[in-house]
Amino acid sequence: MKTIITFLLFIVAIQSNAQTEISGKVTDEKGMVIPGANIYLEGTYDGASSDENGDFKFSTLETGTKVIVVSFLSFETFKKSIAVANFKNQTIKLRESVNALDAVIVTAGTFEAGDKARVSVLKPLDIVTTAGAAGDIIAALNTLPGTQTVGESGRLFVRGGEADETQTFVDGLRVAQPYGAAANNLPTRSRFSPFLFDGISFSTGGYSAEYGEALSSVLTLSTIDEPVQEQTDISLMTVGLGIGNTQKWNKNSLTFNAAYINLEPYQKLVPQAVDWNKPFQSLGGEMVYRYQFRNGLLKVYGAFEVARLDINQEDINQSEKVRFDLKNDNFYGNASYKGTFGDNWNLHTGLSYGLGLNKIGLNSNQITNSENAVHLKMKLGKKVTERIKISVGADYFVTDLDEDFTELQGETFNVGYQNSIVAAYAESDIFFSKKLAMKVGARASQTSLLDEFRLSPRASFAYKVSKNGQFSFAYGDFVQTPRADYIKYSGDFQSEKARHYILNFQHTKDGRLFRAEAYYKKYDDLVKFETPVAQFNSVFTNEGSGFAKGIDIFWRDNKTFKNTDYWVSYSYIDTERDYLNFPNQVTPSFVANHTLSLVTKHWIESWKSQIGFSYVLNSGRPYNNPNELEFMDGKTNAFQNLSFNWAYLLSQQKILYFSVSNIIGTDNVFGYQYANSPDMNGQFQRRAIGQPADRFFFVGFFWTISENKKTNQLENL
Amino acid sequence: MTKIIITIVLLVTSQLFSQGQFEQGMGKAFALWGEGKNTEASAVFERIASAEKESWLPNYYVALVNTTTAFSTKDKDQMNALLTKAQSALDVELSKYPNNAELLVMQAMIHTAWISFDPMTNGMKLSGKVMELYGKAAHIEPNNPRVVLSKAEFEMGSARFFGTDIKPMCLEIDKSIELFATFKPQTVFHPKWGVDRALEVAKTCKK
Repeated sequence: MKTIITFLLFIVAIQSNAQTEISGKVTDEKGMVIPGANIYLEGTYDGASSDENGDFKFSTLETGTKVIVVSFLSFETFKKSIAVANFKNQTIKLRESVNALDAVIVTAGTFEAGDKARVSVLKPLDIVTTAGAAGDIIAALNTLPGTQTVGESGRLFVRGGEADETQTFVDGLRVAQPYGAAANNLPTRSRFSPFLFDGISFSTGGYSAEYGEALSSVLTLSTIDEPVQEQTDISLMTVGLGIGNTQKWNKNSLTFNAAYINLEPYQKLVPQAVDWNKPFQSLGGEMVYRYQFRNGLLKVYGAFEVARLDINQEDINQSEKVRFDLKNDNFYGNASYKGTFGDNWNLHTGLSYGLGLNKIGLNSNQITNSENAVHLKMKLGKKVTERIKISVGADYFVTDLDEDFTELQGETFNVGYQNSIVAAYAESDIFFSKKLAMKVGARASQTSLLDEFRLSPRASFAYKVSKNGQFSFAYGDFVQTPRADYIKYSGDFQSEKARHYILNFQHTKDGRLFRAEAYYKKYDDLVKFETPVAQFNSVFTNEGSGFAKGIDIFWRDNKTFKNTDYWVSYSYIDTERDYLNFPNQVTPSFVANHTLSLVTKHWIESWKSQIGFSYVLNSGRPYNNPNELEFMDGKTNAFQNLSFNWAYLLSQQKILYFSVSNIIGTDNVFGYQYANSPDMNGQFQRRAIGQPADRFFFVGFFWTISENKKTNQLENL
Repeated sequence: MTKIIITIVLLVTSQLFSQGQFEQGMGKAFALWGEGKNTEASAVFERIASAEKESWLPNYYVALVNTTTAFSTKDKDQMNALLTKAQSALDVELSKYPNNAELLVMQAMIHTAWISFDPMTNGMKLSGKVMELYGKAAHIEPNNPRVVLSKAEFEMGSARFFGTDIKPMCLEIDKSIELFATFKPQTVFHPKWGVDRALEVAKTCKK
């Protein structure tokens, strides 16, 4: 017995002493040696660091098969099962991590804002501290190249596209009615308070197959995943009141805000070139509820707005002003889940519902409409390796519009449509190296109303030419169902089409970012009709077409001047379209060939103030003058606007905010409305469409109440 | 019977053996760190972490070594790489011990490094989180000197920025110095750093 034990112990001891040597060399993909890499056998103490020649050597008591691990900063960790006995003088090649800060990223067409973005053009804070933007996400994005400043609309017009060629998504789910209610020729605002979002991605073309039903642009907003703390925000403004609150529990949190806006007191104080019966007022609110699962996050977002306005507007064709009385009720809600499961799989799914109700009085005629929009989404992604990601997904959109037009003591006309679109897509992200990446995909869609099937390929590439510079190229086909204004009268349409080609160069270094983008965009199958406006008896065709080409330049720098951050955007566009009731192909009236904007922000420590200026300059926009032979031959004067804002920190949690837009009081004219028929002298009379007031003043007081006394609403301004 | 004895013998010897290895390894890593060989020190801690899944200390030191290195780096790519490494090591332990005050302080330090990396982007987003982490750590171990020191130092930064009184933070720093004097780490390898830093910060209070 004793001898057996001794014998066994002896064997154990002998085995322990049987050391094996493991040796080799660590290099990168090009064969350059890597010193300082950490090489070891997983689950053991046995290992070494590579020396200045990349060589390593260590001995181990382990036997059989073990996993060797090689790790080094900025490189992918290497793991491999080896036979311990014969791993000698082997060369291990490490691959550079494509997650490194300086790895290539596909950027053509896209502006990222937010924490998740590696190269962010705008920061979430910028939305709210850009002078003239007044907390409107869209107004801040309008300082980026590729957009048009269309003062009488306030919406996003991207690269020669109409406003409705941009689709908006919140947490991946479509928002059918992204803009607030407004009267004709008065600017609207985005419905979303920037305070709830921490990621914004604005694509001016060539976007992913994940998104469809947009010819020009996609704007995706992500709500905050996890609020930082519990807090209450109170705002007192010249235009209304606001309140917000965030509560956090163990696994879930709730944020809500509500605002009451009434422009009446302000408009009594500052006279407007608008004849209001009842100025704009609205009550709106948003809320986000989040629940953190072990491997995922559920978010529920809801927003409602009730808006009223009543206005008398001049019309060149009417001797009396036209009374426009609007009641708009809007609700949008979505629920989304994002999570991971299994072996590097991820799932993003959700549902959104939007309801828009309008009651419009036009003199004594009445229009009521209701729009219901649903979006169901499902997307599955899989990280096959560090370098290959694939995703597949499906969307289901339903839109239902019903509109009644009632004449005074007259008939009621009913129009409307119901449309459902089923779409599926697949896409793959491939990194060939740290320098070369590609994204390819395709989207297939079937539209019920038009009874058509469309397949749209998308592809983009990015190649890094130097440490800080890279080129990207994007190509894509995009289709969109014609707008509600037409399909409510007829189902006999095809989808409108656009094809994008984008070449982008981007250079980033140390707080400075330069990007230049050239694009060519081809439009086909645009809707045409022959009546002055689209109406029930118009003859519609899909014979329109057009193009847009141009160059967008962006420069941002927060390094050169101390405490100063500024960006400059310049866009040149050449675009023509033959659509609507145009007799021939011309540049549409919302396009200015040259757009320049400059935004600056300066922090003055001793004043505890941030001061900002924004300057926008557009060349003139075309308008059609029926007194001239040629169609759309007129051009307005150039547009310019200089805005200023000042945020003063009264204390850590109290901010006084002041802003004024169009300081120099330029009398900007956006276009003209001409009479339908000539006067006695054979001349068509006209009326200028301009700004409701030269300047807009805003004073607000913002107060944050929280445990942690450091945060304030500077973020929200 | 024989089998049992053998098993016991093997168990005991292997455990003793591994205990020795742990101490030896940790000792070597600290020595390398002391010589300023941060990469090598981090490598040794990483190896120990792979062998000792039960102890949170090796990964804690992987995070600490890389974060402190990041603070003294000017190169942004390098800093990003170091902080990413620190974060992934810390994540392993935080998921196992979400209520370990030392790990929470470590997380707050990584966030603070990100804030100094890009204050414009990260300041607003992370400073709230840092305060929340210190709050949580202080709740768990109110008398841990590193918790008291780090929290006070972070608050001091923003008080200076807004020009408010830093006296309350200075009192906290003094309190941390007293706590350091009586602080007994569980083992020689448990965190015990900080008194030098506290004395340094206390000096700025006197100015």
